Amino acid sequence: MATIVHAIIGYFVLLLTVRILSRRPGGQLTLFEFVIIFLVGGVAIGATVGRDHSITNCATAIITIGFLHRLVSWVKEKSPRMGAILDGTPLVLLKDGYWQREIMRGMRIDPEDVMAAARSKQVRSIFDVKYAILERNGTISIITHDRSAR
Amino acid sequence: MTQAVAKKPVGDSVAKVNEEVAVGEDLGFQRSWWRFERIVWACFVMIIALDLAGAFGRGPLAHARISSADHSLIVRYERIQRTGTPSMMSIRLDAGAVRDGEATLFVSDKLVSALGAQRIIPQPATTRVGNGGLTYTFPVTNPPSTVRIELEPPGPGRFPFEISAGPSASVTADVWVVP
Repeated sequence: MATIVHAIIGYFVLLLTVRILSRRPGGQLTLFEFVIIFLVGGVAIGATVGRDHSITNCATAIITIGFLHRLVSWVKEKSPRMGAILDGTPLVLLKDGYWQREIMRGMRIDPEDVMAAARSKQVRSIFDVKYAILERNGTISIITHDRSAR
Repeated sequence: MTQAVAKKPVGDSVAKVNEEVAVGEDLGFQRSWWRFERIVWACFVMIIALDLAGAFGRGPLAHARISSADHSLIVRYERIQRTGTPSMMSIRLDAGAVRDGEATLFVSDKLVSALGAQRIIPQPATTRVGNGGLTYTFPVTNPPSTVRIELEPPGPGRFPFEISAGPSASVTADVWVVP
């Protein structure tokens, strides 16, 4: 019983903490983020299963977290608003040759991050980029002036 | 025989930028989210500050000291404790609490059950059960002497307890156990 309650609380505390850590440009984990994942994961395990390391207790915790994940996915599917709350919405970083400074500042993204995303799509100059869009998964989509999404 | 697959026509409900690119950006929502983020970070800072101060146990705010009216019994303990986390209660017995080279210490049941008394140091010479608690006796040669009780609360809640060392030396207090 306690394990289920701890798993539910832990899941939502982790969800909130991870959600308010801004999306990383590139959508890839840096070494810095690996530190957070391993440390937070280790702390959460201790609080969830406590001293009871039995297979029964661990399986109960895993099943509870799996169930919560399914429930949250279902809620996201049913309610676009909840989807926006849990995953955020895409954001335009560059539009028609202008940086969207409010978004860049709010999401802590530098022009270098956008240029890195452009280079990875074989775009040579920032002047070729018509739109740069920060996606919900943290990747940056680049659309060039020739309107071909890459 | 193949079964028919449920179909739904493709719609374009995603908000567009410049009537050109379907992005689904919602700046109003994003601005609200940034405000919410600032509030959450402020709460996180407050939680860390409270934790450092000991408001959730294991810190300066959690340490407590109470003494009986005649000061022959002084108890140091943590008024805020954590579930499943050990803490030490220290009970100092002065000369007034010692009679004929022996100190008698009564601890209420709550200290043993709700606050999870694990062991008592030193081992008492005798232990009696009754009157809603346990009564220990300790041989004392040169007071003041200190008895320590290791606590490990099994669950959260507010738990009042009583400790006495004879009729004139008695203390009562509460311990809050956080989850």
